[in-house]
Amino acid sequence: MNTRQLLAVIATFTLTAAGCGGGSGGTSQPPPPPPPPPVSKAEAFKVLNQASFGATEAEAQRVIAMGIEGWIDDQLVQPASLQLPHLQSLPRPQFLFELQPDRVDIWFRNGLNGPDLLRQRVAFALSEIMVVSQLGVLGNMTYSLADYYDVLSRNAFGNYRDLIEEVTLHPAMGVYLSMLGNERPDPVLNIRPDENYARELMQLFSVGLVELNLDGSTKLDNLGNPIPTYDQAIIEGFAHVYTGWTYAGAPSFRGAFPTDFNQIIPMQLYPGFHDTGSKKLLNGVELPSGQSGGQDLAAALDNVFNHPNVGPFIAIRLIQRLVTSNPSSGYVQRVAQVFNNNGVGIRGDMGAVVKAILMDDEARPDLAMDLDGKLKEPLLRLTQLWRAYDAQSASGRYPLVASFILFGQGPLQSPSVFNFFSPFYSPPGEIRNSGLVAPELQISSEYQNTYVTNYWFFQTFGLNQTNSDLQEDDIFIDFSEEMAVATNVDALIDMVAGKLLAGDISAALRQEITGIMALIPETETALRAAETIYLIVSSPEYAYQK
Amino acid sequence: MVKINRRDFLRSTSAAAVFAATPGLAYSQVVGGGAPFDDYRALVCVFFFGGNDSFNMLVPRSDTEYGVYAASRQNLAIAQQDLLPITTPGTGTTLYGMHPTMTSLQQLFESGSAAFITNVGPLVEPTSRDDFFNKSVALPPQLFSHNDQQDQWNSLKGNRTSKTGWAGRMTDLIRTNVAGQQMATNASLFGNNLLQSADETIAYVMGPGGPLQFTGFSTTPGEPGFEQRQAFLRILEAQYGSIYERAFAEVQNRAIATADTVTAAIDSRPPPNTIFPQSQLGGQLRTVARLIAARDDLQMQRQVFFVAAGGFDSHDNQNQDQPGLLADISESVSAFYNATVELGVADSVTTFTQSDFGRTLTSNGDGTDHAWGGNQIILGDAVSGGQLIGNYPELRIGGPEDVGGGRFIPSTSADQYAATLAKWFGIPDIDLDIVAPNLANFAVRDLGFMA
Repeated sequence: MNTRQLLAVIATFTLTAAGCGGGSGGTSQPPPPPPPPPVSKAEAFKVLNQASFGATEAEAQRVIAMGIEGWIDDQLVQPASLQLPHLQSLPRPQFLFELQPDRVDIWFRNGLNGPDLLRQRVAFALSEIMVVSQLGVLGNMTYSLADYYDVLSRNAFGNYRDLIEEVTLHPAMGVYLSMLGNERPDPVLNIRPDENYARELMQLFSVGLVELNLDGSTKLDNLGNPIPTYDQAIIEGFAHVYTGWTYAGAPSFRGAFPTDFNQIIPMQLYPGFHDTGSKKLLNGVELPSGQSGGQDLAAALDNVFNHPNVGPFIAIRLIQRLVTSNPSSGYVQRVAQVFNNNGVGIRGDMGAVVKAILMDDEARPDLAMDLDGKLKEPLLRLTQLWRAYDAQSASGRYPLVASFILFGQGPLQSPSVFNFFSPFYSPPGEIRNSGLVAPELQISSEYQNTYVTNYWFFQTFGLNQTNSDLQEDDIFIDFSEEMAVATNVDALIDMVAGKLLAGDISAALRQEITGIMALIPETETALRAAETIYLIVSSPEYAYQK
Repeated sequence: MVKINRRDFLRSTSAAAVFAATPGLAYSQVVGGGAPFDDYRALVCVFFFGGNDSFNMLVPRSDTEYGVYAASRQNLAIAQQDLLPITTPGTGTTLYGMHPTMTSLQQLFESGSAAFITNVGPLVEPTSRDDFFNKSVALPPQLFSHNDQQDQWNSLKGNRTSKTGWAGRMTDLIRTNVAGQQMATNASLFGNNLLQSADETIAYVMGPGGPLQFTGFSTTPGEPGFEQRQAFLRILEAQYGSIYERAFAEVQNRAIATADTVTAAIDSRPPPNTIFPQSQLGGQLRTVARLIAARDDLQMQRQVFFVAAGGFDSHDNQNQDQPGLLADISESVSAFYNATVELGVADSVTTFTQSDFGRTLTSNGDGTDHAWGGNQIILGDAVSGGQLIGNYPELRIGGPEDVGGGRFIPSTSADQYAATLAKWFGIPDIDLDIVAPNLANFAVRDLGFMA
């Protein structure tokens, strides 16, 4: 008997005993469903750090009022806040790269202040799995990047099969992984189809390199070796599938070029450039020759979608992005099962997957272990601070386009399709020695950490509401509430810790802040507030997502 | 150390302006101790991320062999008359040339300071075309995949689960010999990497311009920021309940400790007169030259630097993009070599290149796909330069080393390449198998390109 079953028995026994003790006869009525257990502020913060761009006390109150499941269900039906309509509402600059700050701005606005907190958070996670990037060939295709992000937002709770089709045919992905313009082979000239998208869709977006068990562990052959999911012949099969597509409405296949219009609509098939031979796919499937490009694409994406790896593959990656770096095999299996069947027979229901991830007992375990949780991504440390301190600029914008330099990451600013960090990254020391991973530690180098910590310094001491010297795009935090209590050190620490740590501050951190406060005259309320926020936001306990 | 009066900053400074200036804070200081090596040696790994198309970097130019190349390469072939001729002893009637943009490196090859290792790549054991198709030998896992093959080059560890890098293992082996060094033997200017990852030693990651310092701290008692720095350090040293907090605190501690010991080692030495390209790679290599200039202040005996450039994954637009990429390689590594001459350490510093893989000889229309063996550059006065090391493959599609589409089985293993460099670095022969775990599978333990 497992713990859950044991608890059920105890609950039944208790109910029975209560019934006897009451002594009341009468008609038997089905007991009302037990109310969900009350949510503590700490729990509300936990779920909000997993499911939004950062917990705030106001949103925590909503979670407490609605219950965690109620809050999630409400979030699952919020429509997507979009990026492209905003960019299109702005004057068209001479070059679209000039809109990159506005793209970053609308990303922050939607994430910080949109009603669809969970959807934006999941879209960001998806943008770290199905990666395209401003850095490189898409630098001047800002409309396309924004529309690609909107595809992720709109499909965040939709079906994974629809998502990979929209991703595959999106011009941003087409350009980034060179499916756009990919032609059928020309044996005379030794020209073969481009293998880039064929390889990365499988390796990074769907099935991965080796066969997985439902619980995410690696399947082994008789000799104890991993079993590759595909070989070069299968890569080439898919590479042939992805031939014949380029910008829609182009005057000719080879003469296609991006326009404001065709970079935001799906690529179009040009049948004369599609390979019509047979094609080897996953799991021994072979597509017959003579199919159209559309038939080939649909069959190939079905083939990928139905591979048994997709459930555990997506489960691990989304759990890692939202909840913990090292989920148990049971956690992965429970989520993968929901991917495989949402309860009403549908495979690939991402809304159900997200809910299963967030509602799992392991997302907020009663008894925490030292491998639970994760390091917060640096950008999410920033958004949490900004949400907690109502960050804004005089212009109303958040055009922090240098995010990838300051934080080692930014919205659609990965250095390559391999994202800012690898899901398998294992830093030297106790984490590697224990066989565990910590993806976010890959960009937590001495250099990048210093950059981030220095940003906290400038944010707290410089970019705040007391500074009369701010530029109109300077994003400042507002700690006027802290200043009002700053003569009382305990009250000040309680307030900041309440906003950033759900009040759960370590004795060591409190003691050090108290020591520094003793050096600052109590009349210097802004300095006290800035120092307190700085020390908390740069601390290991703030960097950690429980 | 940039000192900022917090109150002034809070009240009157334009934070945006100050923040914009922070990248210029740059250089950390490192101080030194003593070490038992009686000389100084440094290896500089230049990694080309994405997979350098190195069969367009080093190309046969004699008519017969060029004809084979051109037939395979088709619309991606470099014109025969544009190749920069180089003299390659021992290659008989087959003559070779370099990509037309690589004039600086051509000169260093001709003057004997540079060499190429040809068709080198990850192997577990010697592998023939039949072995490959019959699956009769062990192969590196996940051939043709970017991150896996980067990992192979950097770790040489195959499917083994222990993920350390060969430079990391090298550094572990000599750690007691260099105990007096005040900076880690392994330094990266391009982020965390597997090459330098080790069990016993930790690589230090700085930026492309050098270490970054923490703002607002002082190491001098009584100065503004001193108490804050002390408190900050004590917070890092507290007991934390999660592995993630502990790992994060360790990185922060290392970062601040390095910044703490900075006085002026780098800045006390004049920057090199050598002009470097204004590129990502040129900038990193210029910083490496400055760190090497400060080696005595740092009391460094052995160093491994990791620098890198990206953009080599030329699936598309190869004919447009490749000239700039290869020109940058040539100009950047040549400038770095010139800087080592200027510093009088050209025979103590060896630059070597790695990349995910070579690329297919066949075209995908306007680019190339992931392959296997490729050509690499070694540079420095300890190098037996002016020659090709290893066998250059026959570039025929379906040729004896082609496993399909012009993907060539390496004829020299990355283990042999690493072991030869490690031996020069000072690793005893008996320990080379720790650095290069597949070395015993190959007859030649030392490729002979290091004097």
